[in-house]
Amino acid sequence: MGYDPKNPMEGRITDLGPKYYGDMLPPVIKENKGKWLYHEILEPGVLVHVSETGAKVFTVRCGSPRLVTVSYVRDVCDVADKHCDGHVRWTTRNNIEFMVDAEEKVGPLKETLKGYGNSFPIGGTGASVSNIVHTQGWVHCHTPATDASGPVKAVMDDLFEYFTSMKLPAQVRIALACCLNMCGAVHASDIAILGIHRTPPMIDHERITGVCEIPLAIAACPLGAIKPAKAEVNGEEIKTVKVNNERCMFCGNCYTMCPAMPLADPEGDGIAILVGGKVSNAKSAPKFSKLVVPFLPNTTPRWPETVEVIRNILEAYAKGAKKYERVGEWAERIGWEKFFEETKIPFTDKSIDDYRLAYDTWRTTAQFKFTSHTAAYTK
Amino acid sequence: MATIEHNGKAYEVDEDGFLLKGAEDWDENWVDYVKGVEGIADITDEHQKVIDALQEYYKKNGIAPMVRILSKTTGFPLKRIYELFPSGPGKGACKMAGLPKPTGCV
Repeated sequence: MGYDPKNPMEGRITDLGPKYYGDMLPPVIKENKGKWLYHEILEPGVLVHVSETGAKVFTVRCGSPRLVTVSYVRDVCDVADKHCDGHVRWTTRNNIEFMVDAEEKVGPLKETLKGYGNSFPIGGTGASVSNIVHTQGWVHCHTPATDASGPVKAVMDDLFEYFTSMKLPAQVRIALACCLNMCGAVHASDIAILGIHRTPPMIDHERITGVCEIPLAIAACPLGAIKPAKAEVNGEEIKTVKVNNERCMFCGNCYTMCPAMPLADPEGDGIAILVGGKVSNAKSAPKFSKLVVPFLPNTTPRWPETVEVIRNILEAYAKGAKKYERVGEWAERIGWEKFFEETKIPFTDKSIDDYRLAYDTWRTTAQFKFTSHTAAYTK
Repeated sequence: MATIEHNGKAYEVDEDGFLLKGAEDWDENWVDYVKGVEGIADITDEHQKVIDALQEYYKKNGIAPMVRILSKTTGFPLKRIYELFPSGPGKGACKMAGLPKPTGCV
């Protein structure tokens, strides 16, 4: 029965939840669930898990652009049909994993994947740069300060050698969010790309009455920069809001709540780079990423400035860090003043925290190292 | 922006069919129009109670009430509100009451 717009509730099925994951497992996974003994990375992008029953499962991991067409998914299904009895999975970083139950099946599977050109690059395992967790950008969202798919493509093109190899000290997680809602993993990634604004919102007094719940816009501001105000529209006095531009830090929260307060601006908007976050508990506790580059322009379509900064950070890290050390652990071990020196990133006042609990982030010790950055002040 | 005509009266609406001018344009005729697009057969006293509660709260506070407040003031649990307004309190009831479109990460 088709949907009848006149009787929307008739024959309506709801609250089914997702399908049970067990229905879609490859037989070898289903049979050995909870019995895995150990695993090995055979080569970049290829894993083997060995069960206590002696069964093995070989996993081939491929990069994916996350934003894909149905034809692309059908290609994935074709590969899965040909080699994996129709089974396939996606990872939490939006890579694709094909699983086979015998080593001799890995070679043909890899051959097939190579036959699709650059659609399914194999890699993303071990101490590599795996896929970039990213957001909507200009493809679909209304609050972005930069694009998502574009910069991700530009950065992954540049770092492709690190996707297909495992030559870094530890895995480097890169994430992108197109505004500081930070949908995804930006606040806790080794290297994070974040869209930022640099101009306060513009208030559309003519629309605000009908489309805005004004108290929500006022409460949305983390700095109390918005207050209720009166304005005259077509000779009539209306309720609206006023923004104290000196207090505004361009977060865009008010626009999220109130469509009459847009703030996107082609020159003002751009990218900030944060580094040093992680979510795992291995060796050190999870960390938040910290701001190191306050602004890079939105240079479409290849974002060369952003790509260059990220490669610099990655190479300085690869050179300086010890084995198993994540970017944040490296930066904290050598000291952030050394991090700025090693990566040749100019330190700006924008990196100095000035929000509420800022005091704890300042240096309350005489322990620091003289660097090229401090030389300017101590001459 | 689009204009909707119903029983000879024109309303300015956005792409989701919410009134752009809010209370200024709202009337019983608007309720009758939304009733059709939301798949509601008849406006009962219970529907009216929800609409009145929303409008009263909006007039007093400048915002739509939180779902829990709506449930508390009308006495209808969320389940009942969905039975009355299949699209829910935001897309259904607020639209019918002429409140602004809900915003944020929805």
